[in-house]
Amino acid sequence: MKSLHPALVAALMASGISAYAADTYTPGEPVEGTFNSIAIEFLDTHCLDCHDDVTAEAELNLLELGPVDETNAALWKSVWAQVALREMPPKKKKAPETIERLRFADWVVGELERVMEDKGGFYAHLDPKKGNYVDHDLLFGNLPKGIKLKPTASPARIWRVTPQEHITRLNELINTEPDFDPAKPGLRSRGDFIPTNHGGELKLYFGTDRIIRWEGGTVAYATAVKSVPVVLSSDRKHGLENYPDFYSVNSAEATQIMSKAEDILKYMAYGPMSLVGFPEQITDDPKTYDQSTKPEGDLRGLPTAIVYNTNVVRPLTPVHDLMKESGYSDERLRAAVDYLFEALTFRPPNREESDDYLEITKASIEKVGKEDGAFMGLSSIFLDRDALFRPELATKGKPDTHGRVILQDWELGLAVNHALRYIKPDYQLREAIVEGRMRTREDVEREVTRMLEDDSVRKPRVLRFFRDYFDHDLAGYICKDNAALAKTGASTRGVSHYRAMFDAAASSDRLIELVLEKDQEVLKELLTTQQAVVSRGDDVYFGRELTKEEIVIAKEEKEKAEVLATLEIAEERKILTKEVNALEAEAKANKDDKQLQKTLDQKKNELKAMIKKMADLKRKAGDEVNLRVDKAELSGTPEYARVSRRSFGSGSMNPARTLTEVPRGQRLGILTHPSWLVSHSDAMDNHAIHRGIWIRENLLGGGIPDVPITVDAQLPNEPQNTLRERMRVTSEAYCWSCHEKMDPLGLPFEMFNHAGLYRTMELDKLVDTSGEIIDSGDSSLDGPVSNAIEMIEKLAESERVEQVFVRHAFRFWMGRNETLNDAPVLREAHRAYADGGGSMNSLIISLLTSDAFLYRSVEH
Amino acid sequence: MIDRRNLLKGVTAGVGATFGSSIIPDIAHAASVTPNLTGAGRTPKRVIFFMQNQGFDPQTCLPTAGVGNDGSLAKATLPEPIEALEPYKDRLHIINGLHGKHTSPSHSAFFGALGGYRGSDGVPPSASTIDYELSKVLPETLLPHLCIGMDSMENMKAKPTVANLSASGAGQPIFMHSNPNHLYEMLYGGISTGDIRKQHEARSGMFDRIEELAAAKGGSLPSVDAQRYGQYVDGFGDINGLRERLGSVSDHLRNFAPEVGSRYTNPEFETDWHDILLDLGISALKSGITNVLTVGSGRGEIFGAWKGLGVEQQGHNLGHVKQPDNPTWIKIRQYNSRMLVKLMEELESVPEGSGTMMDNTLIVYTSNNADSQHTSGSNWPVMLLGNYDGAFKSGQLTQLDGTRPINALYATILRASGVEVDRFNMSDQMAAKFDSGTGPLKELLV
Repeated sequence: MKSLHPALVAALMASGISAYAADTYTPGEPVEGTFNSIAIEFLDTHCLDCHDDVTAEAELNLLELGPVDETNAALWKSVWAQVALREMPPKKKKAPETIERLRFADWVVGELERVMEDKGGFYAHLDPKKGNYVDHDLLFGNLPKGIKLKPTASPARIWRVTPQEHITRLNELINTEPDFDPAKPGLRSRGDFIPTNHGGELKLYFGTDRIIRWEGGTVAYATAVKSVPVVLSSDRKHGLENYPDFYSVNSAEATQIMSKAEDILKYMAYGPMSLVGFPEQITDDPKTYDQSTKPEGDLRGLPTAIVYNTNVVRPLTPVHDLMKESGYSDERLRAAVDYLFEALTFRPPNREESDDYLEITKASIEKVGKEDGAFMGLSSIFLDRDALFRPELATKGKPDTHGRVILQDWELGLAVNHALRYIKPDYQLREAIVEGRMRTREDVEREVTRMLEDDSVRKPRVLRFFRDYFDHDLAGYICKDNAALAKTGASTRGVSHYRAMFDAAASSDRLIELVLEKDQEVLKELLTTQQAVVSRGDDVYFGRELTKEEIVIAKEEKEKAEVLATLEIAEERKILTKEVNALEAEAKANKDDKQLQKTLDQKKNELKAMIKKMADLKRKAGDEVNLRVDKAELSGTPEYARVSRRSFGSGSMNPARTLTEVPRGQRLGILTHPSWLVSHSDAMDNHAIHRGIWIRENLLGGGIPDVPITVDAQLPNEPQNTLRERMRVTSEAYCWSCHEKMDPLGLPFEMFNHAGLYRTMELDKLVDTSGEIIDSGDSSLDGPVSNAIEMIEKLAESERVEQVFVRHAFRFWMGRNETLNDAPVLREAHRAYADGGGSMNSLIISLLTSDAFLYRSVEH
Repeated sequence: MIDRRNLLKGVTAGVGATFGSSIIPDIAHAASVTPNLTGAGRTPKRVIFFMQNQGFDPQTCLPTAGVGNDGSLAKATLPEPIEALEPYKDRLHIINGLHGKHTSPSHSAFFGALGGYRGSDGVPPSASTIDYELSKVLPETLLPHLCIGMDSMENMKAKPTVANLSASGAGQPIFMHSNPNHLYEMLYGGISTGDIRKQHEARSGMFDRIEELAAAKGGSLPSVDAQRYGQYVDGFGDINGLRERLGSVSDHLRNFAPEVGSRYTNPEFETDWHDILLDLGISALKSGITNVLTVGSGRGEIFGAWKGLGVEQQGHNLGHVKQPDNPTWIKIRQYNSRMLVKLMEELESVPEGSGTMMDNTLIVYTSNNADSQHTSGSNWPVMLLGNYDGAFKSGQLTQLDGTRPINALYATILRASGVEVDRFNMSDQMAAKFDSGTGPLKELLV
């Protein structure tokens, strides 16, 4: 006999009516009802058989679960996840009707939102990681009778700009980026994103395009140049980073923005003169500086170590005009205000806004004089709401019968611009907005099509989507244990591995762009291409780890090569050594013979130099033979990748790349490239679980409930065992119900080590690369796979995988998770993609002309 | 005696939002604090991190003789570089044998030095640093965390704020102040005169207007966004509120504000500004404005200059010489030691509870480069000064075996601050490789 919770007993007694009698369901509508009227019957019918006080499977007794409250919210969240994902009730039990399940899940979410409203809120269902909780089959298949969709819209909202967007806006104020070069389309040009520097930090650099000399080496350069780190933060490590509800701007960021704004304004006004200690540092002939004011001594790492040329390359703006003459007029000041306002918010100020900032700046000037006051006052524009948040409030226009208003004019124009770009609207788009030609679906299609067709209109947001989707840009941030890294065959010298990984991310970006240029079967191509964009040193990362036997042979070859390289000099050394020995003996016997002593010293020095030369020859010859890696042959055609301006002295951030083919049979598509593999690894080893989660969520559209807080999610520390062997702990019954969704999908990637090198052996045994696709939602995919390549080939053929890709694109461009009401938009987007032959452009146009993009639901 | 705590307690009430990292850093709310091991409860405590760049060679601080079997320094004579600490060696705890192999400290671990994770030039912080974490848990102050950075005059003028050492989270660096004029305006603008006063008033007026404009643009937002945008507007409330609160205790602050002199505007050497920055830091501690001070001598990088000490060399070359018996390094370390003495003497001059402010203070002196500029981090010497309200042992040398990381020291300080942690910024997986133990360094605690 079940021992019922008092609340449950009372409720069961009172409850006589099925909460699910209603035969229609409209997604998004609040589910009216209480614990008594909604939850009890569902729990009793579908849960208590296994989770009561007698059975309590997984030590869970739902009889003790009362109405949603603060204390049981975590458990209710689990209940929601299990039900929404159709994990519970288990397949052997009778499943709830679809509408019954949806209503119950909605009710739980509604209750969690209500109860947690003043306790930090409940937002889990809004997280992109939970996007797949919406049933894929309902989105793309037939809807059961009774589900009534309503026309979709996104909520009216403001989006905080992303760190990348923000730093690109600031960069536009002080740096002139090169125009797009169709002959070298991979090179960074105006409108592209600001790449991270040599260490992976996103920074704004001042005046580096004019540096013609500095003193010291790489670190001295990095220290001497002026740079400021990006201010706005982004704390998400994986997946879609930029939903509107993720971020605000805190006061720390606001004060930093103000401080950096003054630096930017000074550079806008005076260029490198704002950076130098002496005006003579700005010259085309550095000798004139050397011969005039240059300070004595070691200047490495100091601003005075830098010489800038006289070529003015920064944009000359009304801020420059304002500051180049003494005094000021309202006209000049207003021009600077209006220029800055549009540069920072992407729209011109209205009269009131212009007046406000004019007044602030004048007040500052009155207090502290023109020089300081202008910079101080103008910096306030950097903190305007619309410089940091992009509004989509749809305040103009009349709501339709569903409470939706279509975006228009600047809001629509900037939404379209933001969908593709980080810099302000180009001339055509701006004209369209100003002239009232950004108000309809057709207007959007016209502008989006135009921008997509024009390569010179850079579209970094498209690339950003692929970074968020694949997460291939994280490899340089994965901190590797040096000893573990050394075993992979990758270099452990200094920061060379991390540099290689940042280079690899840029290379993968370029590969994605090349696939996008063709715009055919984009996803399939990315998953299965034989091509790779590589940089120097990638022959190791795309290489193969040698077996134990091959290492023995390689060592012998190395020794042979070293001997061969030093054969001749070794003979000379023998002769010289004999000569020195003889001279030493002679000198010992004739201690007063100064000439003899001199000759001896000379010969000793010759011998010393010869020994060093021999060591160098030996090292050089030995270095040619890699003892751990069979390097890949990566010849091909020249390419370029987008890298940062010089941030670490000579040799850093080289854009040169090669478009090549990967070794056949060893790799296939971007998921087998080092950038992706290392991004999904950890300090010591591969991360089969993360890789499996990625496949499950990003290709199969499956969801994985959060790890229960009672689980100590650690693998045993057993260096003598393979990762697969150590992962045996996840096959415990309690863990396996979740881990079967990830582990068998991640383990096929064991054909690579954790630096991304292909391998056939692991710990001197044949590496086991087997895996399985389980319960994918597409039965034709399910079944064992022998390795990652076989699995990828299967997945790339799947229509479901294509649809899941479309779902992720929807989330990225709409800034929210899809709901069932978005089903028509998703189906149409997929149709457009498929009909276009796997066209990303078609997919983007479809999404950006959808109701979900155009309409905002407004509050009454 | 001025009852600072009660005075400031009144004005800090109601401060909510975290300022995080900034040139006007946190008016942080103190996070919930577990009743601490020392039984100190809400005893006012403060921590100072002094990070000298280019490495801290243990031979420049380890006594050559006289250390007792129990590690006591009572009969030891401190070496020349730190001889200024000789009268204070009963408060000194030299720790030799921590490590930071996982922080990649060669050429500086940057944020990793205080974060206990891999850092390098150009690498963003991967998590918060210990100074920031402490600022959240120590008793609330107007400005819970202040960072000052000392460098060559050129660098301090051209780049008055840089961020290399402290962070409030992954990708969230905290800037350190290097221009004392700016810092003075921020802390004492309300009680200043002349140009500083004008700058202060102009900035105040502007921030007030920005807050008004920001608030006006939040009026028509949907309710969900209004809450998020409200955080932005509230941020200005914090910025403006800090100014107002500092203004409201101006009479109190006048007792601590350093006098502005020609060294502010016309310094002869960079060390003039170093001295002034330290004075401002000390004044912020003594006045109760802050509880956590981070001093970056060399600003976490591999350069820096000390011409005012007669050190003609600057920058990277200083890291290419052996520190023991090196006249240049003796001068720099002696200068550091004098600064440490000044910190102690100044804090000792302020009564607090039944003792002085120094009784409740911990100074952590080390380098962002472990033991040398080009190092694997296998030894990371540290000197502690003060016993932190009786929590730490003092007057002794503790030799560790090189198997516990600097993270363990940071976890120990957190423990002594009342936070129940076993590790700081170190996963179990990393610990399996880099930490032979768990929990605080018991050797250090009373």
